[in-house]
This record gives sequence, structure tokens and C-alpha cells, in this order.
Amino acid sequence: MAENGAKATVTLTIDGVEVTVPSGTRVIEAAEHVGVVVPRYCYHPGIPTRPAQCRMCLVEVEGRPKLEPSCTLQAADDMVVNTASDTARTARQSVIEFLLVNHPLDCPICDAAGQCMLQDYAYVTNQLESRVDEPKRIMGRDRISDDILYFADRCVICTRCVRFMRDVAEDDSLIVAQRGDKAYIDTFPGRELDNPFQGNIVDVCPVGALVHEDFVFKARSWDMDATASVCPGCPTGCNVTIDTKENQIVRVKPRHNAAVNSWWMCDYGRKHLVMTNRGVRAEVPLIRDGGGDGDDGGELRPVDWATALDWVAEKVAALGAPGGSAVVSPDASNENLFYLRTLLDRLGVADAAFRVPQGETAELPTVPTLKLRADRAANAAGAGFFGGRRADGPPDGPAGGALVVLDDELEGAGEDFGGSADFFLYLGTRLPGPARNADAVLPIATFAEMDGTFTNFENRVQRFHQALRPPGLARPGWMVLSRVLARLGDGEAVNDVRGAFERMAAQAPAFAGLTWDGIGLKGAPAAGSAAEAAGVAGPAEAGA
Amino acid sequence: MSRRIHPAVVGAQPFQLTARERFDGPIFETEEGKHRLEAALSRYPTKQAALLPMLGFVQSVKGWIEPADMVEVAEALDLTPAYVHSIATFYTMYNKHPVGRHFVQVCTNISCHLNRAEEVLHRFLAETGTREGEISDDGEFTVIEAECLGACGFATVVQVNDRYLEDVTPDRVPGIVENLRGGRDP
Amino acid sequence: MSFPHGSDLETTTRLSRHQGEAEARTLEGWRARGGYEALRRSLEMSPAEITEVVKASGLRGRGGAGFPTGLKWSFMPKDDGKPHYLCCNADESEPGAFKDREVIRWTPHLLIEGCLIASRAIGAEHAYIYVRGEFFEETQVLNAAVVEAYDNGLAGDGILGSSWSCDVTIHAGAGAYIAGEETGLMNSLMGNRAEPWAKPPFPAQAGAFGMPTTVNNVETLAAVPMILENGADWYRQWGSEESPGTKLWSCSGHLVRPGNYEFALGLPLSDIIFDACGGTPSGKPVKAVIPGGSSTAFLTGDELDCATTYEGLAEAGSALGTASPIVMDEDTDIVAAMRRIAQFYAHESCGQCVQCREGTSWVVRILQRIEAGDGRPADIDTLYELCEQMTGRTICVLADSVVFPLQSSLDKFRADYEARMKPTLVAAG
Repeated sequence: MAENGAKATVTLTIDGVEVTVPSGTRVIEAAEHVGVVVPRYCYHPGIPTRPAQCRMCLVEVEGRPKLEPSCTLQAADDMVVNTASDTARTARQSVIEFLLVNHPLDCPICDAAGQCMLQDYAYVTNQLESRVDEPKRIMGRDRISDDILYFADRCVICTRCVRFMRDVAEDDSLIVAQRGDKAYIDTFPGRELDNPFQGNIVDVCPVGALVHEDFVFKARSWDMDATASVCPGCPTGCNVTIDTKENQIVRVKPRHNAAVNSWWMCDYGRKHLVMTNRGVRAEVPLIRDGGGDGDDGGELRPVDWATALDWVAEKVAALGAPGGSAVVSPDASNENLFYLRTLLDRLGVADAAFRVPQGETAELPTVPTLKLRADRAANAAGAGFFGGRRADGPPDGPAGGALVVLDDELEGAGEDFGGSADFFLYLGTRLPGPARNADAVLPIATFAEMDGTFTNFENRVQRFHQALRPPGLARPGWMVLSRVLARLGDGEAVNDVRGAFERMAAQAPAFAGLTWDGIGLKGAPAAGSAAEAAGVAGPAEAGA
Repeated sequence: MSRRIHPAVVGAQPFQLTARERFDGPIFETEEGKHRLEAALSRYPTKQAALLPMLGFVQSVKGWIEPADMVEVAEALDLTPAYVHSIATFYTMYNKHPVGRHFVQVCTNISCHLNRAEEVLHRFLAETGTREGEISDDGEFTVIEAECLGACGFATVVQVNDRYLEDVTPDRVPGIVENLRGGRDP
Repeated sequence: MSFPHGSDLETTTRLSRHQGEAEARTLEGWRARGGYEALRRSLEMSPAEITEVVKASGLRGRGGAGFPTGLKWSFMPKDDGKPHYLCCNADESEPGAFKDREVIRWTPHLLIEGCLIASRAIGAEHAYIYVRGEFFEETQVLNAAVVEAYDNGLAGDGILGSSWSCDVTIHAGAGAYIAGEETGLMNSLMGNRAEPWAKPPFPAQAGAFGMPTTVNNVETLAAVPMILENGADWYRQWGSEESPGTKLWSCSGHLVRPGNYEFALGLPLSDIIFDACGGTPSGKPVKAVIPGGSSTAFLTGDELDCATTYEGLAEAGSALGTASPIVMDEDTDIVAAMRRIAQFYAHESCGQCVQCREGTSWVVRILQRIEAGDGRPADIDTLYELCEQMTGRTICVLADSVVFPLQSSLDKFRADYEARMKPTLVAAG
């Protein structure tokens, strides 16, 4: 920092509050240190170029004749900045009025309503419309990509989208066409965007100009709940926010994490997450206890949890430790995997195979950590921590002993899969055909339906939170497994992810020293991991 | 047809319908195209700086610039077609639609406005039987209103293809149209 | 080709003395008129010495802003090891101005010579002359001169047998007024949209192609050779302390003899309009004059006694700008004239800054409505307010350019606006 004798920090006054920031900090960022968010459109912290063209972030600087754009103005010693002076406020108000000259004011049918920076600032500045009396310019709607629409009349020409594509994705295929008040955002005539990260242009749009087609008219912002989560699409573990409405995922947006995905995520991840709405789920515990109508073991029959858990615990206790095998999903959470491992140890099952579907990779050139990785699973690293073995090909059941499957869809497994096991326990979110051979099926929640953690590609442990209510009687895997174990005299039944995480941290070396609260919403490196060695900020450092 | 143009001036060749020809095939694979491109590239530190000269070249050959031409220019200069589209639509002298053989641009800006430019414009439209921007039925004329042509002392100024007509009054318009139609000097 | 006019007023044709002479366009003809002697002299001088002479002469930028040329040159870094560029701004497009066109089409070698001397002063290895695209015929003349210069060792490697080299390239614009703004021009030269950029970076730090660059207007550069040849004191015999030298004047509008003239700076504006240009063809009084190109403030017919210097016109409440008076006689519809001016700026706004993109076209729409007789008294207040909000808030001064004439026309010709207002129904009682 302090090369060539240059000062490492500067001290300035913003809205009467003195603040010291690193040299080179722009005023708009320095202001955030004192809790002042200067209104902005073209400035975006994740996009390197700053054209200073929206003129929204103009602030008054003592001793300067004109208002200055705070996004490009470098903080300097003794600078006195006033973001809320009459001049600055009037200027901001007039920008809104200018933006409303041609804006259709179609908030009632706009998908951004309620989360729109034009709407917000219109209310903040009390400039709810323009005095314009003449007909407005009308441009209409255009298609930008197979799933993104552009509503030109709502556009404020901040060029965030253009600059995301050009400067972050390094794909110069989205541009401003025409000029003046006829300017609009466009692709080459007859071509659409075709970039694996293009969905981010919708997120950076401060208004309702760019909209995902599958989100059009789907939900009003005030009808949605937002939950901090992690994308399970690949081991990158992009931090995301899941927007839900009526117990359905309606939208997924990236959540900033400088150590992982910066401000972005890939389109595959977005679609993958919304797809988790689909499919028929396992909703009720099933056991083959010979009860009901069945003979000699008989059919699987639905039972309540207490019955199911008692029966499973009984069977496990009766098995002793005959060995066997397990198939686990690399999408299972760390907590699920931990409890499963505890159970497997009890059963004398060392091997737990996991299979990772593969897909094409995609890189975001300017963010090296953000990459759609070939592994299409969230938690292969976690599976590895708990004795998992990466396997190819269809799973085959053991010749005897116990068989435990944790949420693997058993694709390619034979019709009689698990038939020769002494005891076949299936814990899953769905009920694929071969799972019907199980002696017990325990329905569990998807990651979106519970709290938990994943371990990403560089062994960063990241929290996700419950966004949806699980269907029927499905419950988090750790909750279910802790109860089976408790019935066997091993620990307590946990109801809260904190309890599950605490036991995992106490017993699993990779999680030593981590706490649920300490990980926070940005995650922390697992013990002894490369990420930790590289000094990626974790709770230990934050606390120091 | 290839004329060796000094590289120093290759970026300033006329491009408003001076060398209109039938033209098919890839423009930058012709001898002339190769020469123009190479000469232009030799004058700037970046390839992209040759964009305006090359768009001008395309227009000088074809009379207008259509999307397929933008793709060719983009390929020649390692740019994206979208970027070329952005540039071509920013600058008003690139014709994104075909125009008549005589492209008449009537300046109606302030000095010409004070000297009956609107009447001159309307007279041109009436004499050519067109509405602004459209091609006359015989393909001879397109008339548009233009912004300041930078010859305000000679109002009203009218640009016909790459030529300025100065001190044009409404009364002179029929004669000008007549001459142009007859292939004579306006 | 109506240049130069005879004039009842004493003209001082220095820069323009060979305009109208066809032979002056050729290298031979130009040399016969003493051409390239100043360049030869400059080769014997150090860059700093050249800059000093120009500084001492007080030459100010002729593109409109009037920034001291020598000072601008002195901002260029020395011995930084980077390539430097000169951009000659020949994108003349301010409505009312047509002076650079005459320099280009009559004395192209003068411009080339000026570019070379300036390049030497700022250490430029390449001079780009950015000519507006519409100037086809003028560009052909300039192109021929540049080729001649190359063929005769006046451009390229080893100029005039010296060890100094400098390339000259002519680059045509393609229809964008904003390319006349210096950062817009450099963006356009680089093959971008001609969008001005927010400074810093200043051109002398990182201009064309990211390298230190100076942008000078045609007339500015054309004045350099004679200053170098005759010295700063010689140049200062004309004009005032703050506005030395001679200046080209582009006169248009309602005039008997519109056209280009060259005068010593400082004559009364009224002399230029009445004595040189012969007043209005209708013989009617002058109602208004926009003295410095359409982006400067209106003066009324009673305000024409001001001195034609940068400071004189500023005192009068307007600006010298490009020295392009647009004269309007008594019958002129000021609202229509202002609407036409505003329409230009709306058409030429690059669209980056909100105030300019939306403001200019909003102003046009209000003016069109008033012009059509559908104005409301509140419109005048709205226009005043828009003027305030469009001033000094944007990356470049295009928005300000519509404010100067608009605000002054409201101040000075309010009655013209009010006369077009729709009669308001007044509630009885």
C-alpha cells in the first residue's frame, strides 16, 4: 500500500462523520463505511468500469464548484463531502424526474416492482412522476436471449448489463445501439446472447428492464421470501438467495461472497435450483415389518415416524456389526453425511460409494474462483471427509450385511438391487424404483428444505438455510439419523441444526474449531484445508 | 478497380455513394478490400481504430451497410458483430437502409432554418414525390432532413451524395431535381 | 465559393490570406507563399522553445472553449517513453461555424504544417486529423496535400532531412457532433462510440489509445506557423491582453453578406454584423444574435456594442465560442429558432448522462408545443428549472450547450414565448 512514500490511508469527512479509508478508495465506497449509501445506477461494485454516466451519485464537495460523481471521485485527506446537501438532493431528484420522462410507470405489471431502484429513489426523493406533458417515447420489448426479455421503455441506460458482459464475462455481445434518447440495449440483429453467465445481467439491472422470461408475472417481490443459501449445482458453492412463494422456488439470485463467487453465478446453477421444485417426493416413512396385509416380510407399508424409527433401530441393533456397504449422494449435506457415517461405523460399513454426474465446464474469465465445474454435485468434498469413495458405474448391492443408501437415485441399479442384503435402509428425498426393495424408506428433506452446510471445491464450509417446508412427513436427514442413533444409545436426538453441527465439529477432524454461528453467511475453510492455508478469511481470523 | 490509396488518407475516403457498384462475395477478400484493410491497419496502434474507415469502405462499395456487412467488418477487425452494430447505429452517416441513387440531405439547422430551409426540404419531398427517408418509386431519390452540415454562411445547404449545394432556395429545387434525374450536374 | 467577401470593415487576413487562391492548395503554390518555413524553423528549436513562443503569443483554443494553447501543450509529459499523439479536431459541427472548412479546403498545407509543429512541441509521433465525415470535398483536398507532403519529405520519416519523424493521418468521422468534444473525438478515433468520458483521465495523461494526447482545433493549429515565424509580439499586435491575435468569423443567418472573415480580436460585434456583413437583407432591425455558435447565449439587437474578445462577450453575457454569429432580424420567430437549436442537441446527445439524454428531448417537446400554440404559463418555469438541472451536471457540456441559448432566450424574449401561450380560462369571481 505505502509504496513510494504514498500514504496508505486518507481521512475525510462525509456527512459530518470523519472516516479513514485506504488510499484510492472512491467516495461512494468510503460513504458506505459511515453508513451512507449514495444512490446509484451505473455504479456496481462487481463491475470494474465506472462511466459515471447515470449522474445519480453526484455529491457536493466543499470547495468544488460542481457536484462530483462519487463513484469515480477519489477520497482525499481533508475532503469534506456532503451527500445530502440541498444541491445534491435537488440534483438527485431531477435525475429521477428525467428518468421518468419516458418511463411508462407500469409498476403494476412490472416484475421489478418492489425491488426497483427507480421506484425506491422516486419515493426517497418524493419525485413520483415527471411533469412531462407530451407523449412518451415508446420502444417496446425485445428478446435478449432464450430466457431473458428486455423492456426498453423501463431501461435507464446505466449500461451495467453491457459492462457485465464486456468487462466481467469478456463477451462483447451486448451493446448500446443508437444514441441519445433513442438508445437501447441490443444484441446483434438476429442473434441472442449465448453465454453461460448471462443471467447475471438480470440481477445487475437496477430496474425492470431485463427480466428472466420464466419469472415474468410469476411473483410480486412482496409476496416472496428470501433465504440465504448455497447453489448445489457444482462444487463451487456459489452463495445465493433463494426467493420462494407458496413453498416453491421462483427465483435464485447470487449473493455476494468475495472468496467464492464475487457477485455472480452461472445460469446452469439458477436453472438447476428452480428444477428442484419438480418431481414426486418420498413423503412418508415406509417399513417392511410384516405388519398390515403382508406376509413373510411383506410389502412396504406407511407408518408414523415413531414406529419407523423404533423398528429401524431394532433392526440395526439386531444386526450387530456384520459389515455391508453404502451408497451416498454427493449432494447430501455435511451433517447428513456425518450422522450417516456414525451409523455406518456402528454397522461396520467402511465403504460408502458416491457417484458424481459430470457436465461441461464454464468459466467466468475475471473471477477465477467462479467456475461451473465438471462435477455436478454440491458436496463431493464433504462425502470425501466421511469416508466416501468416488465410484463410477451403477451401484451394486452387497452380498450380505447392511446396505444403506443416502439419497442416491440408484440410476442403473438392477431390479433386484439390495435383495441379498440382510437389511436395506433407504433414506431419500424421492423413491426411485430400486429403493422399493428396501426394508425401510425414511423420507428426508432436500437441502432447500432444511438448514445445513456443504463443503465446496476448496474445502470451504458454507451454510444454507431452510427456504421451503418439506412435503408430508419428510424431515432433515440429520434429524432422522440422530433419532435412530439416540435409540441405539448414541447421543441425543437433535432438532436444531446447531446441535447437529456441534456434534459434527466435536467428532469430525475436518470441522474441528468451526461453529455454526462462526461460519456465518460467508462460510469458513475446513480445518487443514487448502483454503485455510491460503488464508481465506474465516471466523478464526475475523475474531482475532 | 483497385486504386492504391496512400495509407495516410485511407481512413478519409468518400463513402457516401461515390463508388456504388454491384457487389457480391466477401468484401475483404477482394484486392481492394485487402488493400484498404491493410493500409488502414498500418496507421493505428489498435485494430479497432480501423472500424470507422472500414465501415466507410463498405458503404462506399455497397451504398449502405447491412447486418451481413457488419459481420464481415467484425471478423476483419477481431470485433464482435454486436460491437460493430453499436458503432454503426451511433453514427448517422452510415446508412442502415438502402437509399435512392441521389441521397438528398437538407440542412434545416438554425442558419438554414432562418433561410427557408424547411421550405426547401418540403419542395424536395414534393418534387421527388417521396416522404422523408423513403426511396422514390424510380429508385432515384431519398430525401431527409439533416443536421448542421457546417456551411452555415451558404444557407440553405443541401448535400447530394457527397456533394454540397450551397445557397439553395425553394425556387431552385425543381431545377436541381430535374438535373439530377437527367444525370446532369445539379 | 463566396470567400473572401469584400468588406467595409478592415479585415486582418493573416491566417486566411491565401484562402481563395487555388494554387495555395498545392505544395508548390504553398511553398511559393512561404509555406513550411515555420516548420523548418521549428526543427531548429526545442519542443520547449516552441511551446514557449505559443504560450507567449497568448493563442487560445479556437474550438470554442478558448483554453490557452501553449499551456495545454505544456501539460504533456516529457520523456515518459510513451508514444504521444496529436489530434487535430476538424470535426467542425457547431451550428453557425464553418471556418475550419475554409482552412481545410483552401490551405490544407497550412493545417499540415501547424499539425507538424504542434506534434514536435508535444513530442507526438503521429498526428491524426479527424475531419467530419460530411466534408467529402474538403477532405479530398486535404488528402491530396498530405500525400504530397509524404512524397516530399514533409511527413513520415526524417522530415525536411532532419532526424525527426512524424506521421500524419486523415481520419473521417461519420456523423456525430459529439465527436467534436475532445474525449468523444478520441473515443471515435479509437473506433468507439463518440462518447465523452469523465475526466480524469485527462487527455495529456491518457488520451487516444491510452497515451498522452493533445487535441487542438483546426484554426488553432493553423495559427501556429505564423506565430512561430513572426514571434509572439507580432501576434499580440492584434487583440487584447487576454484575447490576442486575429480570429476567423463565420457569419450567418439574416445577413446581406454572410460568410467567413478574419478580424483582429476586439472589434465591436455591431461593426462585424453591419459594416462587414451589411446588416439584414430585409433592412429590418436585428432582433437577436447568437454570437459564438448555437451553444452560446442570445444577445438582443441592443447588446451588440460589445467587444469581440473572449472577455468582452463574456461581459456581455454570452461567449465568443467559435466566433460564429447567427443573426436574426425583427421578424424572426424566436420560439421556432430555439426549438430548432434544441432539436439539434437532442439529436446529437450521445445518451450517456440522464440530464442530457432525457432533458434535451424534453425541452424540444415543450418548445414544439409552445410553437404550436399550446403552451401553458407553467412551461416557462419548467424550462427555467430544466435549464438549472441541466447545467454543470453532466460528463461534457452538450446539455449546457442547449441551456445557454434557451435560458437567455427566455430572459430576453419572454414576450415571444408568452405570446404563444394558450389563453387561460380565468374563473369568474
